[in-house]
Amino acid sequence: MKRVSRRRFLTGATTALLGLPLAMRLGRAPARAADPATAKRIVFFYFPDGIVGPSQAGQPTLWHPSGTEHQFALTPQLEALAPYKDRCVFLNGLSSGPTDSGSHPGGAKKLLTAADGGQGESLDQLLARTVGAASPHRLVYLGAMANHNGASGDKHLSYPQPGQTIAPEDNPVLAFERLFGAPAGTGGGGGPDGEALRRLSVLDLALGDIKSLQARLGATESAKLTLHYEALREVELRIQSQAAPPVAGTGCESPSLDAQGLGAGVLYEPERFPTALRLQTELMVQAMACGLTRVGVIQASHHTSELIMSRFAGTEMYDPGFDMRSHQASHYGSSHDEQSREFVAYRAQRRWFVAQFAYLLGQLAARPEGEGTMLDHTVCLLMSEVADGNTHLHDNLPLVVAGGAGGRISGGRLLDFGYRRHADLLVSLAQVMGQPVTSFGEGSSGPLPGRTTRCTPASSVRRSASRGRAPRAAATSTSCR
Amino acid sequence: MSWCVRRSVKLGALLLLATQAACFVDSNGADTGTGSSSGGASGGDADTGVAAVCEDVDLGPRQLRLLTRREYDRTIRDLFALPPGAGCEGDACAGPPLACKQAFELPTGGETWDSVHVAGSFNGWAATAPGGGWPLTWDAGAGVWWAKRELGPGEHSYKFVADGQWLADASNPQTAPDGFGGQNSVVTVACGAAAVSPSVGEDLVAPLIASFPPESRPDGFGYDTHAAAALATAVHVDAWLEAATALADAVAQRPERLLPCAAGPACAEPFVVSFGRRAFRRPLTPDEVARYRAVVDGAPSFALGVRAVVEAMLVSPHFLYRSELGQPSAGGRWRLDGFELASALSYMFWGTMPDDALLAAAADGRLDAPASRRVEAQRLLADPRARETMEAFASQWLGVDHVTTLTKQEALFGAFDPELRLAMLSETQRFVSHVVFDGTGRYPELLTAAYTLAGDRLRAHYGLPASGSDDATLVAYPDDRRAGLLGHASVLATTAHSDQTSPIRRGLFVRRAILCQELPPPPPNAGGVPDVDPDATTRERFAQHTADPFCQSCHQYIDDVGFGFERFDPVGRWRESDGGLPIDDAGDMNDVDGLGTATSQPYHGVGELAAILSESDTAAACFATQAYRFAMGRLDETADRCGLDAIRADFVAGDLDIRELLVAIATSDVFALRDAAAEAP
Repeated sequence: MKRVSRRRFLTGATTALLGLPLAMRLGRAPARAADPATAKRIVFFYFPDGIVGPSQAGQPTLWHPSGTEHQFALTPQLEALAPYKDRCVFLNGLSSGPTDSGSHPGGAKKLLTAADGGQGESLDQLLARTVGAASPHRLVYLGAMANHNGASGDKHLSYPQPGQTIAPEDNPVLAFERLFGAPAGTGGGGGPDGEALRRLSVLDLALGDIKSLQARLGATESAKLTLHYEALREVELRIQSQAAPPVAGTGCESPSLDAQGLGAGVLYEPERFPTALRLQTELMVQAMACGLTRVGVIQASHHTSELIMSRFAGTEMYDPGFDMRSHQASHYGSSHDEQSREFVAYRAQRRWFVAQFAYLLGQLAARPEGEGTMLDHTVCLLMSEVADGNTHLHDNLPLVVAGGAGGRISGGRLLDFGYRRHADLLVSLAQVMGQPVTSFGEGSSGPLPGRTTRCTPASSVRRSASRGRAPRAAATSTSCR
Repeated sequence: MSWCVRRSVKLGALLLLATQAACFVDSNGADTGTGSSSGGASGGDADTGVAAVCEDVDLGPRQLRLLTRREYDRTIRDLFALPPGAGCEGDACAGPPLACKQAFELPTGGETWDSVHVAGSFNGWAATAPGGGWPLTWDAGAGVWWAKRELGPGEHSYKFVADGQWLADASNPQTAPDGFGGQNSVVTVACGAAAVSPSVGEDLVAPLIASFPPESRPDGFGYDTHAAAALATAVHVDAWLEAATALADAVAQRPERLLPCAAGPACAEPFVVSFGRRAFRRPLTPDEVARYRAVVDGAPSFALGVRAVVEAMLVSPHFLYRSELGQPSAGGRWRLDGFELASALSYMFWGTMPDDALLAAAADGRLDAPASRRVEAQRLLADPRARETMEAFASQWLGVDHVTTLTKQEALFGAFDPELRLAMLSETQRFVSHVVFDGTGRYPELLTAAYTLAGDRLRAHYGLPASGSDDATLVAYPDDRRAGLLGHASVLATTAHSDQTSPIRRGLFVRRAILCQELPPPPPNAGGVPDVDPDATTRERFAQHTADPFCQSCHQYIDDVGFGFERFDPVGRWRESDGGLPIDDAGDMNDVDGLGTATSQPYHGVGELAAILSESDTAAACFATQAYRFAMGRLDETADRCGLDAIRADFVAGDLDIRELLVAIATSDVFALRDAAAEAP
């Protein structure tokens, strides 16, 4: 009986959908059969205010490694990635283009959109509505103090529409409850099936109301309602699929988060930031391990960050008597001066952010999946909105790709592009996620050439990685086709 | 024309690389990009009063406006007649309870009163509004007089004063002898935990709203009302769905409260029609009535049908958005219909749904006429709910809603705990609503008032005499150290660092918030904030960059304005010295009517600065711009200029009456008309 009823609701939803403009349906093509040669999931990991790049006085970058593709040493700034060096591709020479170069917000707007002024959809959003469309959560966007002090607009990274961002969830407890918590309200429904049906009928009516409202709208507001419609559909699909119990032994049947007293009241104390970021990272990995999402963004603070990093106890930055903020430190002066308090702090801060990215990789590598670990099937991108924090230039951005991506990426390599638009990296990442994208944003000329990806199974990637170098055969994108 | 002025006029121009690196970047995240929508539209403002050249008022776009968390909270409470809650503003939404708000309700019991106040230990037992008493509002629907006020933690005794007659709160069993042979009512408030009170049960709404995402808005737009930036995500849908379920379950326990007739199948359609009209803030279409009626008919029981309708309507876009789509009108324009106007008015003035009177006026077509909107606007302004909205506007205008999550070096500046931060926010909110509704109502008083409203925690912080209460009550300043908003700790603390003041931020605060003037972002290789140095004052350290001609190009407009605040430390306390060194609080409110206008107005201290600004037409026009942005939910752009310029010109040329300004916005053509061409393609 119940199943029949549910089918009725499903049919109703489909009917509502068919009456909508074509554009509204584009995002929800049914998920293709799993392609073994694509990454299962992607995590974007953002930190604010750039890196120690070349100084005005001419000193070389402290971030970017130098050497050949397979023969290079990590810089001390990237030291925390040493355990994962053979899982990472270090990218030198990528630029988000000349527009607004020198500006934090200008760089942040281009970071995931590759479009000047953020006038385009961001890659996480594109992936959310394509590869993520069949997931319970198309996108999970988590932050640590990313909304502090009213941060909004260009301080956030995810653009569902040109020029408009959405806000990440800063509270790990709320994020956990949303991802893993049972739906609230069980009065009178009579068990989960009844609850689910009740919610589905509510959503069905809302979808119908959107449709009637849409008929009255111009283009802008119509696009706004299309996003609303897609959000309703996401929740509807999630509820419809909720009947399947989690697989025993995955940890998904009893998910947990040790919030360590990180309630809403202390969420924005700088001392709590490391805990908040770590919890969000663990939560992201847990959500992905349980198949709740395939597309994630973790945003640590926001550009021009006021985060007092000298309050992080137990780190080399700790200096309780002197407040040093991220953005303040980033303006360290015209040279890498060991006597400069800002420079020394900035260098330590960037190192710390890299270590947080390494923690993400460690969490992924600690979870078995298939013949390897989650890291083998995931692709991660470490990124910031500007290169050197003093000059804020948008050339030679700090970008590190990590993870096996289901065999599409072999790590342990340094690639130097001289000068190339980072839009091409975004194209490559979309392709790694199985999307037939050949251009993204502005200034892209196709996927990064040749050597970012290769097409061997994950197991052989692991073997070659364990030898410390990857075979160069089959290392062109054309051979991946 | 200097580099800075050229750049401020041409935001978005090519970047100029500075050759020097001695200037300081200290702009609170406003190391902003070229071309960001950072309020540049009205930068300069030298053209105040050009309304005469605007023969045709350009109009804003047709739009849907998603309810903000603030608006959702109040709308839900009005829709279900729930007690008011603690509210949720800015960062406080993600933080601790903003305040302990206490609801007072006095049923009439058949009596007819002209005025009712609550007097108690929290307001000096004042029985009248001029004396500091708290007026109650008549709610005809519920048949009660009510008010909601913040109370500090602890025990408070009170009585109602109805037309001069002192009455205990019959609904409150907790009493204590009043010393005159009768009994006072007593309420115990526990802040930080659940606020326990006799008339407020468990707050159903606040915990639900805690999981709503914060409002998105473009950089430079300080208000939660931005229409275009508010996009619905799956996080929103989850939160709305959860709230709808919880509220519908609560309603289902006493569905008769929502029913216009006896429960039963015959009441299905009357219920859908009456509840739908309030939830959607307009009559339902016949099609909608049929669809929602079918929900009742298809439910296992009538009560469950009511529950299902409530739940569904709360997730409907017709509830979640207020429509400013309008109907086709002459000249290719669109005119908001009566119900859209009713919502536009109620959300502008009250931050909540229209009341029955407003809906009736909409149904009668009365709101189309500006004169009728004037009458309604004045009625809405007379209601206490207008105070709440004014307070929300004020804290967002000044950016002090973030003071609740600020961090300071407590070793240097003493405890900066949540209670003190909350007291700072409360001061500013209470002060502004006092000026607007209890004081002269004129803009200059916001800047020059020789008094404030503070409880004992903040009074101690300021060195003012204690009142014996933590309520923000009126206190006169004994000297001219502080004056108006510029002397508020909320402003002084949010424009300072954790460990030192920032003349740059304070100067930029005046330029941006008070004068609506934008400066270009600093060059990328500008230096950072100078380190604290025991051998130099803040002024001396920051003054380095004004010595550099290139840096001075912009900083001449910033630092000289901000130096006058130096008497106040990073937590807003008065200080006699800066780390033991003497303080120079000389400033220059130069170029007040626009960067590059080359005027000079030297001053000493915040009081003199406030006096200068209070006489500035540019500052007054800016205030009108800020109110307009908050009300209209968009940054004023060229499309608004004619309509906005007329409003500003009238405000400046008139008596600078703030309530009259709000009425002028509500009665303007730009308020009621839309232009489809203004929509982005």
